[in-house]
Amino acid sequence: MQRREALKSMLGLSAAATALSPFPALANLASANEDIMAQFATSFDKATHSNPNLIGLKSMSGDMPWQSLTVEGKLPKALRGSFYRNGPAVHQRNGQRYTHLFEGDGMVQHFNFADTGIQHRAKFVKTNKYKQEQAADKFLFSGPNSKLPGSLPVNKTDIINSANTNIIPVNGELWALWEAGSATALDASSLDAKGLVNLGENTRYGNSLKGLAFSAHPKIEADGTIWNFGSTINGDIVLYHLNNRGVTQKVNLLKTNYRGGMLHDFLITQKNILIILPSLDRDKADERLFSAIRFNKTLPMKVLVIDKNTLTLTREYLLDAGFAFHFGNAWEDTDGTIRFDASLYPDCENLHHMSDLMRGKTSDATPANTVLYTLYKNGSTNKQIIPGISEFPRVYEHLTGLRNELLVTLSSIQSDVWSDSVRVINVNNGKQDTFVYGEEFLVEEHLIVDYTQQEGNGYLVGTALHVPSKRTCVNIFKVGHVSDGPVCRAWLPTALPLGFHGNFLAAN
Amino acid sequence: MNILKLSALSLSCFILPISAQTVQFNIEGIQHDKGKLYIQLFKGENNFKKGEAHNVAIVNAKQGQVTVTFNDVEPGDYAIRYFHDENSNQGFDNNMFGMPIEGYGFSNNAPVNFGPPSYQQMTFMVSNVAVINSSTVNY
Repeated sequence: MQRREALKSMLGLSAAATALSPFPALANLASANEDIMAQFATSFDKATHSNPNLIGLKSMSGDMPWQSLTVEGKLPKALRGSFYRNGPAVHQRNGQRYTHLFEGDGMVQHFNFADTGIQHRAKFVKTNKYKQEQAADKFLFSGPNSKLPGSLPVNKTDIINSANTNIIPVNGELWALWEAGSATALDASSLDAKGLVNLGENTRYGNSLKGLAFSAHPKIEADGTIWNFGSTINGDIVLYHLNNRGVTQKVNLLKTNYRGGMLHDFLITQKNILIILPSLDRDKADERLFSAIRFNKTLPMKVLVIDKNTLTLTREYLLDAGFAFHFGNAWEDTDGTIRFDASLYPDCENLHHMSDLMRGKTSDATPANTVLYTLYKNGSTNKQIIPGISEFPRVYEHLTGLRNELLVTLSSIQSDVWSDSVRVINVNNGKQDTFVYGEEFLVEEHLIVDYTQQEGNGYLVGTALHVPSKRTCVNIFKVGHVSDGPVCRAWLPTALPLGFHGNFLAAN
Repeated sequence: MNILKLSALSLSCFILPISAQTVQFNIEGIQHDKGKLYIQLFKGENNFKKGEAHNVAIVNAKQGQVTVTFNDVEPGDYAIRYFHDENSNQGFDNNMFGMPIEGYGFSNNAPVNFGPPSYQQMTFMVSNVAVINSSTVNY
């Protein structure tokens, strides 16, 4: 390239800086006179006096060293390894509070299941943001949804990467995931941060993937192959194919017109990737990432079917308007019919409910149901609604992208605040096997641990916060006998902040 | 006039118009010595938006600080933008989403905060005294 061309390439500088995707331009937020974050802190602190359930949204002040937990029942001999969870654990500093549950710094909860019992430790993901703000003992940066008066400049999304949504084992490391930016690699032994993952490094993609969004819901096939996507506020969607060592094999960029600003999860089948665009718009006058999102009931959900070999769009389906954070699984019949499940909301009020919670306010957001979708080759579609509230769906790991019969979800039977139950649904006959923790518990994601690769075998593992005693417990169920209750439960002496997603890494 | 001559122009001494001034621009926080810095001086917002530079400079990168001086700058409002071509491919590299992956910055150290600064944030006036302006590289 000639130097003239080099200088021409600067023409893109201003425009390029605009593409600090996936965020909208929040440039004016730092000059806002109102300290909304201080108002949220005041409101939340006041609400904690009357609503004990808010204990799950308090902040942690630092790491937690190893401690042995008090075990009830017997830890199954077949269950040895590490149960990792990730979630936001600093919501508030120095009298200022984030305005959305998705913004806080990620903390990894590590439960070790061993012959000697169950131990726990927790460590914040030591991102640059966390380290700077922890040292300053105050927030220094605006969040995606929160205006911080006097924020330090945010010139790339990874500046405020909180690594707070999921954690997966990859090639001997752990990757802490945040959907708007890079994965953060952690040392699997110490949980110390090793740095941001540059997915193009040592591949033909070089630095062209540096800083790209890598969603918190990668799909990992039985052989370890990793599929994922990342999206921007402008509707650009990048698709990733990584091998089982986390090395990028193929990447492609899809230009879509999706303007909803929120794309959290996706699906794979044996042959295809499914990107489901929910019925969302943005209020262009609102520069906050989450609060600007509006449900548009006139906008159909759109399913993009993408060939896994080429990472190119091959088909589209339109579905009734809806919104989902999470999907359990998808698979494809031999005739090309695609089936998948969604924890489907009739609107996006639940997204805003998670902002209300941050100021201590509970609302009546309509919960999600499990909906089973069928997409036929001729373009027609069908859906079946499974009764009961549904969130955090999981399936057997070896069936990711393949036909599953069992689907695990959280549910809520008694509580109108948070999940209070876990259940196993047979998607073929609709039968449900449910355990109700009760309204005194705030129940978090439960996942399946099974070494036999046989549905019905193995264990469910998940955490729950017992509000009256202010303690978190980890619970183990036999998959085939969930309603019998946990076969083992281990208590921490204190409450952990409510988290999002996790995975189990079997001991060698 | 080609770019190299234009670059040399910025480093030369000329008989200046009575009102012309020098603009000294300090680029700070340069992370390493590799590559070059490409710097553009724009006169007025229209030229900035069109990408039509009044003058340019290309200098070797040096860890820490580099200073360039634009001579013969007539009165008016100006802005500067630059990038650090770290891998010497003579281009400003972006990732697949169009986000910069090489260092860059603007006059007045105009902040990049969830988006680029406005022209108003980076503009400075040249009148009858020499101008000194600074910026720290955004990496």
